[in-house]
Parts: sequence; C-alpha cells; structure tokens
Amino acid sequence: MVIFLTRLINGISLGSVYAIIALGYTMVYGIAKMLNFAHGDVIMVGAYVCFFAISSYHLNPVVGVLLAMLVCTVLGMVIERLAYKPLRQAPSLAVLITAIGVSYFLQNGAQLLWGTNNKMFPAFLKGNALQLMDGQLKISVTTVVNVVVCVVVMLALTWFTGKTKMGKAMRACSEDKGAAQLMGINVDTTISMTFAIGSALAAVAGVLYMSSYPILVPTTGSMPGIKAFTAAVFGGIGSIPGALLGGLLLGIIEIFAGGYISTQLQNAIVFAVLIVVLLVKPTGLLGKQIREKV
Amino acid sequence: MLLTVDNMDVYYGAIHAIKGISFEVAEGEIVTLIGANGAGKSTTLKTVSGLLRSKTGSIVFEDKDISNVPPHKLVAQGLAHVPEGRRVFLQMTVEENLEMGAYTQKNANVDGHLDKVYELFPRMKERRRQIAGTLSGGEQQMLAMGRALMSDPKLMMLDEPSMGLAPILVDQIFDIIKDLHKAGTTILLVEQNAQMALSVADRGYVLETGKIVKSAPAKELLNDASVKAAYLGG
Repeated sequence: MVIFLTRLINGISLGSVYAIIALGYTMVYGIAKMLNFAHGDVIMVGAYVCFFAISSYHLNPVVGVLLAMLVCTVLGMVIERLAYKPLRQAPSLAVLITAIGVSYFLQNGAQLLWGTNNKMFPAFLKGNALQLMDGQLKISVTTVVNVVVCVVVMLALTWFTGKTKMGKAMRACSEDKGAAQLMGINVDTTISMTFAIGSALAAVAGVLYMSSYPILVPTTGSMPGIKAFTAAVFGGIGSIPGALLGGLLLGIIEIFAGGYISTQLQNAIVFAVLIVVLLVKPTGLLGKQIREKV
Repeated sequence: MLLTVDNMDVYYGAIHAIKGISFEVAEGEIVTLIGANGAGKSTTLKTVSGLLRSKTGSIVFEDKDISNVPPHKLVAQGLAHVPEGRRVFLQMTVEENLEMGAYTQKNANVDGHLDKVYELFPRMKERRRQIAGTLSGGEQQMLAMGRALMSDPKLMMLDEPSMGLAPILVDQIFDIIKDLHKAGTTILLVEQNAQMALSVADRGYVLETGKIVKSAPAKELLNDASVKAAYLGG
C-alpha cells in the first residue's frame, strides 16, 4: 500500500510537469493549428538559462526561473516570427517539418554554446519531506512544488481564457480566424501571445523537470517534450483540461509501468497506451466535441 | 459617399473572380448586390473588408483609401462584415460572441452596446449564457448581426443573411434589416434571395460572373424584365 501510494504520488508529481509542458503544445495547436515540435527544446533552453543563473552567477533560484521564463518567452516569439509566421498559408506538412528543423537547430545551437557535457543541475528545492503514515509515506518538496505550480498555472489559464479580453480573443481565433479578424482581433498578435505564454510555461516546466531529473544536456528537452506531446494528444489536443488530465495520467502510467512492470519497458508502455487510447477515442480523452445545431 | 469601390479586380490564383467592378454606397442607404451563385458577391464583400485583395483600383471608405488596410483595423474605422454562413463562435456563449464584436470598443462602451443589441434581439438576452453552437440557424444569424452591431458600425455588410433559413425567419431577418436602416445604419446587402433584397433596398447592382451588368434603383430592378427572368422566378 505504501509503495502504491508512493508511486502514485511520484506519478502525480511527474505528471504535473508533463501537464505544464502539454499546455504549451495544446494552446499553440488550438490557435495556430500546428504541432510545435521545438517546444521540448525550449524547455531545455529554459533549464540552461536557470542553470547558469544559479550555478555561474549565484542568483536566487526564483530569479533564475524568472530569467528563464523571460528568455523563453522571447525565444518562443522569435521562433514563431521567423520560422512559422512566413508559413501561415503553407500546407501543414511544411510547418511540421520546419518545427522539427527548429528543434534540431535549438539542440545543435545548445551544443555549440554550452557543449555536450552533462551538467548537474543544482538541487534548489530543499527542505524536509512531508511525512505521513508514521513516516512511511514521504512527500518531497519537489512533489509539493510541482503540484502547486501545476494547479496555479491551470487556474490562471482558465481565468485568462475565460475572463479576460485577450483570452477570449484567443478562443475566438482558435475557432475561426477569419471571423476573429472581422471582429477586429489581430490574429498575428494573438498567435505570438500564445507562443509567449506556452514558452514561458516551458521554462517553468524545464526547471521543475530538472529538480527530478537533474542531468542537463542539449537533448534534455526531447523526451519530456515528446511525452508531453503524447499527454496533450492523450487528453485531447486543443483542450486545456485535456492537457492536465493527459499529463497526470501519463505521469502515473509511466511511474507505475516502471515500478510494477519494467523500467526498461517504461517508455514503450507509455506510448503503447497512447496508441490504444487513440484507437478507441481518436480525439483524445477530452477531445472537443462540437455541439452544433443547424 | 460612404463607400466607393472603383475598378476592383480579384483573382483566386489564376481564376479572375471579379473583373473590374465599381459601385458606391451613400450614407443611410441600403444597397444590394444580387446575382447567382458564383457571381462574385461574397468575394466583393471579402475584398472590401480586407480578407482578399484587389489587384487594381481603390476602395475608399469615408474618404480614406482602405484597399491595403488589414481586416482587423477596419472594424475600428466603422466597417462591420457579417460573413456568409454566420460564422459565430460556436463554442463561446452568446454574450461572449457579442463581446468579441465589441473587441475594438472601449470597455466603457460595451455595456451600452450590449443593451442596444439585447433590445433589438430579446431572444439573445434570454440565451446570453447559452453556447452559440446550440442556437438555431435563425438565432445564429441574429447573433452574427448583433455581434457586428456591437462595433457600432457606420456600414454593415451582410452576406446572405437569409441563407438556409425557413421563410418565416427570412421575414424576421429582413424586418430587422429594415429596423436597422430606420435607426440610421447604412447597409450593403448581398443576397441570392433577390426578391427580398430588392424589396428592402434603395438601390441594387446585378452581378454576373464577376461583372456588374446592371445598376438601378431597387424598384426599377424589381420590374426589369431581364432581372425578373433571371432572378425573380419570371
């Protein structure tokens, strides 16, 4: 029982990070209708920025995270402007290939700038674990932070898309860009804004991921990136609650698969589950069901 | 003139869809463009509102050349376009749709516009928390028109407002168009239902395969033998 609960908690912890990354995929997909495969590498850049801020410049970790968010926000907007905006009218395959290109560009850029050696991300979330059930069940500070950040991000985004003018404009764009333009909404600005938000979240997720898996290399972002993408599809791409659900489930499945079945097959099982879900429910768990009456 | 279109030429790739048409709309008028499917009526409206571009000529709205202004900037200048097929945001509530219509308005003005639209469309007020996708076709058309009114437009362009609606709803929509006109809104109306369109309009243009073949006061067109034969069912 304790082992089960420990694994469940670890799964939720990891899943919270996946959920934050998945949000970036799902928001960009919802509005720009493209899969931004460079998203995972933005995570890596965020992690490097925070790493250097903490270990080389000895800044406070919070400052490091804010700095990483700032750099990634700008990076996300620049990527969108230079790589994706010129392809707004292009077939989606061209955009997809470009996104993969941007991904390699970022990985190789990171190799050039920062080398290929492993960097050990400093443990910055210190403090005693919460002890439950007479000390048998421990909940680490990392877990608490992951879950709290995830919940805060979800609430903030729900409020943003539901209550603010910019957020509603984003939803309008995701449904019908032509009609949104006729309302006076600047679609380019809205898309740019979406990339900014998604990339800032990627920075946060990158740093959180590092607190559980502290080995930093230029390809660090690809595995969490592809898994969060899986989570976004799993939950129903384009749906914000879907990203949360998909992320959490994926994290739990991954930890359970590693714990109960085999750590070597862990990733294979995660992706197998995705395939099964898509076979049964192609739009994902919370995929948009458009209620439409004519 | 509120709107003057001079020598508009529009291509879809190699297809020459609009072949040098010119027309104008004066303040306070209802002007209609009638014509068969594929004549270029919607294309004309899309070009005026900036979604498509004319290769030549000019589009002047309130003495300003708008032929290169991006569509999202025209709303604030007083041009509202209710697109073909309504295009309401199906996953947003009625009130959110209306708020989007007022996107370029100052926040202080939104409530006032909302009251006006609700007065014109009491049904929308009843359903303001409802998701737009659950509205009937007629209600969606009302919502699309209400949404355009939220920007307090000087010129409202309506593209096929009667499309796909039951006759009783068509009557309702045209009553609303008359009300809007009485309240001082200038309207450019594109319709396949030429009979209805000409009965409310001041003037009409007949569009055939991208060219204007006739322009006259609406009453004259209603009695014109060739128009009758082609568009009014004999």
